[in-house]
Amino acid sequence: MADFCWMGVGSVATRMLADYGAEVIKIENRTRLDTPRKLPIYKGDVRSYGDEDANPDPDKGGLFNNYCRNKLGVTIDMSKPEGRELAIELIRHSSVVTENFAPGVMERWGLTYDRLRELVPDVVFARMSGYGHSGPHHQFRSYGPIIQAVSGLTFISGLPEREPSGFGLSYMDNQAAYYNSAALLMAILHRETTGEGCEVDVSAVEAGVTLLGADLLDVTVNGRATRRPGYPRGNRLEYPAAAPHGVYPTRHEDRWLAVAVFDDDAWQRFGAAIGAPAWTADARFASLDARVAHQDELDAEVAAWSRDEDAHEAMHLLQAAGVAAAAVQNSQDLAETDPQIAARGTFFELDHPVIGPALFEGSPMHLSGSDADLWRSAPLLGEDNDYVFGTILGLDEQRRTELAAAGVI
Amino acid sequence: MATHSPAFSSLRVLELADDPGGEFTGKLLADLGADVINVEPPAGAASRAVGPFVDGRAGDQDASLEFWTYNTSKRSVVLDDSPADRGLRAELIASADVLLTTGTPSQLAAQGLDLDALREAHPTLIVLSVTPFGLTGPWAEYRSSDLVGLAAGGLLNSCGYDDHSIPPIRPGGNQAYMLAASFAHCGVLLALIERRRSGRGQLVDVSMHEAVAVSGELANPYWFYPKALVQRQTARHAQPVPTQPASFRCGDGRWVYFALILSDPKAWAATVTWMDELGLAADLVEEKFADFEHRQREFAHVQDLLEVFFLMQDAGTAYRDGQRRGLPIGPMQAPEDLLDDEHLKAREFFVSVPLPTGDERSALFPGSPYRFTAFSATAGRPPRLGEHTDEVRRELAAVKAVPSA
Repeated sequence: MADFCWMGVGSVATRMLADYGAEVIKIENRTRLDTPRKLPIYKGDVRSYGDEDANPDPDKGGLFNNYCRNKLGVTIDMSKPEGRELAIELIRHSSVVTENFAPGVMERWGLTYDRLRELVPDVVFARMSGYGHSGPHHQFRSYGPIIQAVSGLTFISGLPEREPSGFGLSYMDNQAAYYNSAALLMAILHRETTGEGCEVDVSAVEAGVTLLGADLLDVTVNGRATRRPGYPRGNRLEYPAAAPHGVYPTRHEDRWLAVAVFDDDAWQRFGAAIGAPAWTADARFASLDARVAHQDELDAEVAAWSRDEDAHEAMHLLQAAGVAAAAVQNSQDLAETDPQIAARGTFFELDHPVIGPALFEGSPMHLSGSDADLWRSAPLLGEDNDYVFGTILGLDEQRRTELAAAGVI
Repeated sequence: MATHSPAFSSLRVLELADDPGGEFTGKLLADLGADVINVEPPAGAASRAVGPFVDGRAGDQDASLEFWTYNTSKRSVVLDDSPADRGLRAELIASADVLLTTGTPSQLAAQGLDLDALREAHPTLIVLSVTPFGLTGPWAEYRSSDLVGLAAGGLLNSCGYDDHSIPPIRPGGNQAYMLAASFAHCGVLLALIERRRSGRGQLVDVSMHEAVAVSGELANPYWFYPKALVQRQTARHAQPVPTQPASFRCGDGRWVYFALILSDPKAWAATVTWMDELGLAADLVEEKFADFEHRQREFAHVQDLLEVFFLMQDAGTAYRDGQRRGLPIGPMQAPEDLLDDEHLKAREFFVSVPLPTGDERSALFPGSPYRFTAFSATAGRPPRLGEHTDEVRRELAAVKAVPSA
């Protein structure tokens, strides 16, 4: 794969193919570093996302390591004619080309689908963008929170009668990446079946809209607007009705417990598990309808109980009784104490020449016959220039030295 | 217009799913053209009892918008627990390329499904298991839900308000299940590609818990590297330290997300020019604000002026004018706003899908978020309960009637 992807969405999308065996050659530009190389997520140095070094060490960034494991890394300056010629040679040796630049960048380099097909007749050309490659907004800036806002995901998330709480992350960077991984795999499977390549256009905004759930159909089928009192619903659940259904305080500051009780059987188990205090037998809470009608009082009682508990102990107490519950875990919990993550090997460690040993977010799908091969941390800037330009493209050492001296690679 | 790819229209998927993660996975394959048979109990899949309902018709098995959302393009076959129907289920599994299940190990056992035995009996079968925690491990039998999945997997810890007396708030739309579905979709595609080489199926064991745990964006890297925990902040990135608010209310009562990176001189200049054109830049035009450190010291003042600036215009105007200047701004659109979004309209994103209400009605559904020049995915009518039971029984009988060579 000749992989022009950068930033979050593209890098995560092609990472999945790299994990499962594709030879992904990440093409970078020394004069315009990939943003995750610059973001200050460093060992032993706590800084906010926006607090970058003026001249960062491109090989030190933790986010880049997380996004680009298992890929080969080369550098090409696409602003130079010789750089573009080199990229074309690399594409000739590839079967998939990927990119997530602002629309127009690949065209400026002459790398249209028609041109790529001349180079590789059955090429898969995957284009990943915020808004897609057509339409009046296709040039709009599209960070994750913007995609979430524009697609409706932010609006449907929050407490009623106040501003949306949305997502505290670029959720759509990950989800759009997964949609792009899937689209790539679909195009490859189609080619394996028919011999025919294709161009792929994935819009993150459109992916976001497909993730809104049934509230969207409530609008299109029933004409029921979501700009209405009581919407969105915070942690309460309307469909299906459930109570208690919420996130409750525990005895540690800002540590929380999520509880979801969907029916009367689960309610009985919940009451028994917490020692059957008198309020659990109150007529106001005796049926699902009654609990929904008295949710404020019910939530106050559950919170009064949970406030003395440890979040994880309460989780296991309730789960042992067959009640859906979980501590609101943070990343330390996931990495250090979650026995399920440990047993499944979700996070794994690899050494990196500059960063040293580091944990990685692995794959949540376990394939019994062809599982992920997690073989190396992210490439240093231009680390694989010799292998890719020498061994794959056949350029001799003198030529590579010339290209390096000219700033082409 | 492109049509379905033979890579998918030749596939049969037998779906034994009873949560949105499994159902949405089946839908993604069905919209691509696969023959996805949703096997339902006589009372219908659990999602048929979940609202909202068309015209408020609660209790009508063919009226759930929840079911329609996650079950477009499928066939519905009703089978009960009788030995005869279990036999039919076994025949359907034998005829399938993919068996899609959502049961935990004990639930599968109760349904009489032994995934290992099935794989042994059908070496080309791909078994796609999508469960709350995965088929193995100490929590494999733990109960879950979307809220519980987001909590356990850590994503919920990043979501909520600046005010931490308010608990973390669950994002809408069943996102824990949607993450599981995304990985299930990729997993089955990987297995299908691999099967073309080896001729063998395999088990794809997808855990919603892990899907959520690896999708928190910065949260894990912040722990893996500087050992910092992120703190939730209203509708913007959870970070180790508080940042300035990025939600602004506009004059029409709608909200926009606008992240002004104070350290970016280009974004600063564009913002001040924009504010100045509306006569609302006040002292931000002064030379001293060209200095980043001054802006940083005065950020509360900058924030106050931005709040006034956005209150003086409507969200749609702010979106277009800001984006025209290359600024990262987006309106927090409600689902109903999407139908009027000029960009989605120009791309003809929403598609009209016939409804299974028996009265020729149709409604707009989200279209395919991926567009291929060679083939297409598109949402088809969701099935009525048991609509295809007889048809599928006839198909099985016809296959049996053909003497094997």
